[in-house]
Amino acid sequence: MNAPIPENIPRAQQVISVLWPSFLVAIVASGLFFSAFNPVELIPFNLDIDISPLAAYSIGFFLFWILAIVSSTGTLYFTISNCRVLNKQRR
Amino acid sequence: MGTQQAETEAPEFYAKHKKIYPREVSGRFSRLRLISLLALLGIYYLTPLLQWGDRQAVLFDLPARKFYIFGLTLWPQDFIYLAAILILAGLSLFFFTALLGRVWCGYACPQTVWTEAYLWMERKIEGNRSRRMKLDKAPMSAAKFRIKLLKHTAWITFSLWTGLTFVAYFTPIDVLIGKLFSASLGPWETFWILFYSFATYGNAGFMREQVCLYMCPYARFQSAMFDSDTLIVAYHPERGEPRGSRRRGTEPKSAGLGDCIDCNVCVQACPTGIDIRDGLQYECIACSLCIDACDGIMDKMSYPRGLIKYTTENSAQGKSQHILRPRIMVYATILLVLCGALFVHISQRVALDLDVIRDRNTLYRETRDGLIENVYTLKILNMDSNPHRYILSADGIDGMKLVTDQDEIMVEAGSVYQIVVRIQADEFNLEKRSVTVNFHLQATDANHLVMVEEARFVGPGKS
Repeated sequence: MNAPIPENIPRAQQVISVLWPSFLVAIVASGLFFSAFNPVELIPFNLDIDISPLAAYSIGFFLFWILAIVSSTGTLYFTISNCRVLNKQRR
Repeated sequence: MGTQQAETEAPEFYAKHKKIYPREVSGRFSRLRLISLLALLGIYYLTPLLQWGDRQAVLFDLPARKFYIFGLTLWPQDFIYLAAILILAGLSLFFFTALLGRVWCGYACPQTVWTEAYLWMERKIEGNRSRRMKLDKAPMSAAKFRIKLLKHTAWITFSLWTGLTFVAYFTPIDVLIGKLFSASLGPWETFWILFYSFATYGNAGFMREQVCLYMCPYARFQSAMFDSDTLIVAYHPERGEPRGSRRRGTEPKSAGLGDCIDCNVCVQACPTGIDIRDGLQYECIACSLCIDACDGIMDKMSYPRGLIKYTTENSAQGKSQHILRPRIMVYATILLVLCGALFVHISQRVALDLDVIRDRNTLYRETRDGLIENVYTLKILNMDSNPHRYILSADGIDGMKLVTDQDEIMVEAGSVYQIVVRIQADEFNLEKRSVTVNFHLQATDANHLVMVEEARFVGPGKS
């Protein structure tokens, strides 16, 4: 691997590179999950929660998005910190 | 210095973004493009207004967990169709990319479509390319503020309409507009309208070509579908070079020049801000605006058109072209087979589902007559758009008896009906402890509405 390793990616680009792929993954994940499970039926009976289906789907979507964001952030963090180490070794 | 070295190592990849002011061009391909953009915008904004019977023609009814697409009603069980349609869409993209290059990017991608719409508003309000550049350079003044305010008002209005239309695919548009005017929109409906509006405003107003350059996965891997016979937009250096300015009516050869007058109009027209004369680049979305721009200049110079044109690598190198090549045929075959399979599957889809749940509390019980009895809960799902009466029967054990409290079961269109039934059988006829029985459900008024579901019948077992 002789290619230059970028480690100073602008912050805006970092944020987008985390948010955007996770957004796409969250759409797929919610689609798969909610076609198998009806969110209204998932709420335990002993919990007295009155929640509209749209709210349940939306919250589900955001939970998936947050999960994917955590994963993407991890990947970005490790990539950048590894780049830093590799670049340092090379110098 | 660490950062300094990193900067010199990867300077051009993360260059600071320069705002692009695409020049307006007219010509054959711009017209074609305009037709495509208007048609797609029309489909997006008008589809929720269509009615089918007494409901919205295309509606993804999340609370009821039903997707209506004209005459078709899809249930969560039909998720496979959605997956198949997505796979088909992906394959079509492969097919058209191999054949026509990035025609999707230039003519049909929502990013392109809405960017052009926003650019059109920008042109109408701020003026042509040079006026827009001048306006942005000028210090803030009352006049500039007015123009900018007008542009953003137009953009935001259009965004809100876009967001409202998006939510209208999930909440019927008449309900949505009624709620909007009575100020009783739910929090999540409001949220999604604003979310989608903001995304449209940001993507089409500001991000524009950066979405293609930095965020689009297709832009990165489309080259894998390319071969030497794929349609591309290309400049012909052997005709154009050496480029140089000259007076109108000059014969290029007499001046020792090629046909390119180096007017830079192709660069100014490019919505991604590249110079097509540098060769094929991944930034090129094949929008063909540079073709129209250059053709206009060639006409003015009385040179033949086509210095920049749609071509293929093979044709540009003077080799023979092949439209029907293995790659195309493979993509086309897979596409046709899948399309056919999906069509057959959907047309033969039985709009009926039967779920059998055996009573889990008791394995079996004995009736007064000494028969073994099992209890089942049946869920009948009528996925058709008409109500139906069904006749239930069962077989699997000699002399078995199905006990229900109704002869015909009426199920409304698009609803689930639950019924408890009993099966009684003589212990003598049970070969094993657990045997298979079949429930048959048949609509009285439609022969094709038949569903058979297996269940277990449990008895004491032979000792």
